[in-house]
Amino acid sequence: MDEINPQPKSLSGSQKIIAILWLSFVMAGVATVVFFAAIDPEALKPCVTFPEVSRSGAYTIGFLLFWLLTASSSILTHYFLRIDK
Amino acid sequence: MSKNEPAKKQHLDKDVEQSLYAKRQKIYPREVHGKFATLRIIAVFALLGLFYILPWIQWDGRQAVLLDLPARKFYIFGLTLWPQDFVYLTFLLIMAALTLFFFTTLAGRLWCGYACPQTVWTEVFMWIEHWIEGDRQQQIKLDKSPMSARKFRIKATKHAAWILFAAFTGFTFVAYFTPARDLAHRLFTFQLGHWEAFWIFFYGLATYGNAGWLREQVCLHMCPYARFQSAMFDKDTLVVAYDEKRGEPRGPRKRNVDYKAEGLGDCINCTMCVQVCPTGIDIRDGLQYQCIGCSACIDICDQVMEKMGYPKGLIRYTTQNTVEGKPTHILRPRVIIYGLILLVFASALAYSLATRVPLQLDVIRDRNTLFRETNEGLIENVYTLKLVNMDEKAHEFKLTISGIDGLQMKMEQDKIIVEGGDVVDLPVRLQADEDALKDRSTKVYFTLKAVDDPNLEVSEEARFVGPYK
Repeated sequence: MDEINPQPKSLSGSQKIIAILWLSFVMAGVATVVFFAAIDPEALKPCVTFPEVSRSGAYTIGFLLFWLLTASSSILTHYFLRIDK
Repeated sequence: MSKNEPAKKQHLDKDVEQSLYAKRQKIYPREVHGKFATLRIIAVFALLGLFYILPWIQWDGRQAVLLDLPARKFYIFGLTLWPQDFVYLTFLLIMAALTLFFFTTLAGRLWCGYACPQTVWTEVFMWIEHWIEGDRQQQIKLDKSPMSARKFRIKATKHAAWILFAAFTGFTFVAYFTPARDLAHRLFTFQLGHWEAFWIFFYGLATYGNAGWLREQVCLHMCPYARFQSAMFDKDTLVVAYDEKRGEPRGPRKRNVDYKAEGLGDCINCTMCVQVCPTGIDIRDGLQYQCIGCSACIDICDQVMEKMGYPKGLIRYTTQNTVEGKPTHILRPRVIIYGLILLVFASALAYSLATRVPLQLDVIRDRNTLFRETNEGLIENVYTLKLVNMDEKAHEFKLTISGIDGLQMKMEQDKIIVEGGDVVDLPVRLQADEDALKDRSTKVYFTLKAVDDPNLEVSEEARFVGPYK
């Protein structure tokens, strides 16, 4: 079976990018839901000096920031798991 | 160890790597008709139909299913959920996961083959492709031919159709989070908000990329479920399998020839099962993680068997136990355990939803002064009560207090009326005689009760602070 369908020993470049971006996307989604279920962006307004954004805008920015965070974590993990050849 | 050995090894590794990293070959699945293909078409229409139509259905003068993020309220038909009801969503997600486990154990990758959005949207994108580019042979020929005006025109038409469909999908997705009719109106008058436009684009792009370009690669490299689903399999799980005993040795033969006398099995090696496979595998190699259980190979093989005049089912839904000639059990410990846990969660959700009180009371003590003495010599504490009427209609409420003998309540208004879906801040002063206070801090209780509905009642604890004793 292995001869017909060789299994790659490690991931290719694009697969690594997918693994990092996609899985961090999923976790960022979870974090966003949990965070904004507990905290109303309107309630944060007095605490932050930020240009006026709507709730939808705050959700989006929150999601993108979470994504940045989770993706950074994944990239660092990937970087430290590298085996020098 | 000689010096150049690591270098040699490195060189070798690189060679191996290159051969393993074969560039992805585009898969051209042949179109297939049959029992299971029809079942999938029904699933596509039912699921996508539901997805595209639901935002347009009205209920009580509002959108029936609307996860109104800007207003932080979820409407699901007759039910209005608030961020405080987040626990229900958690319950629903746990139940969805358990249902998936339950059905995977019973019937394998049913989800992947018929219900997964990736499968369903890819199916539609392949219909569009087939409709514009022609069948499998025509598609392969077109891709091999050099760029010409005709090829460009066909490709451009296909991508335009894909993009249009993807954009509509993105729009529908956003319509679940912001009222659909309003959104459509703003789309056609070019007044979309930035964030709405961003998410329509983002979701549309994801649909176009996943269903148009990535396809089976999503299942192979991106899907977490595809990775761990085999953990739920056992020998009694329904899988798509090739009957090796019957089929082998495979080989071409003339019709009406006694192939058994020639030592051949039922498989005529027409490779149709490979051509129809959306993940490009050969089911005859045995159960593989790439197999999404779409059963396209069952449909096509049955047709071939019929033409040859052989019995159907050379490739069929079966269990490993059946293949090995052992009895198959439907009820087995893991099925019963998944079923029981699912039942527990479903009953808990149903019970908590049925007994849910759509009223919330938060008591916030005045942070600036702990207490003050009134002109009459009473000790006074100030609170702000936050009343959330999560019901659809307005209610009049009666507020009562308890905890200290002779406790008095002063309020600005004499009637508390809160509109449906409204939040009201209510300043309240409590006064007590110093002699009635046994401690510096005493527990007091606020009870809020709807005048017209005795079931609508909540109680909240707070602290009443007096001087040092």
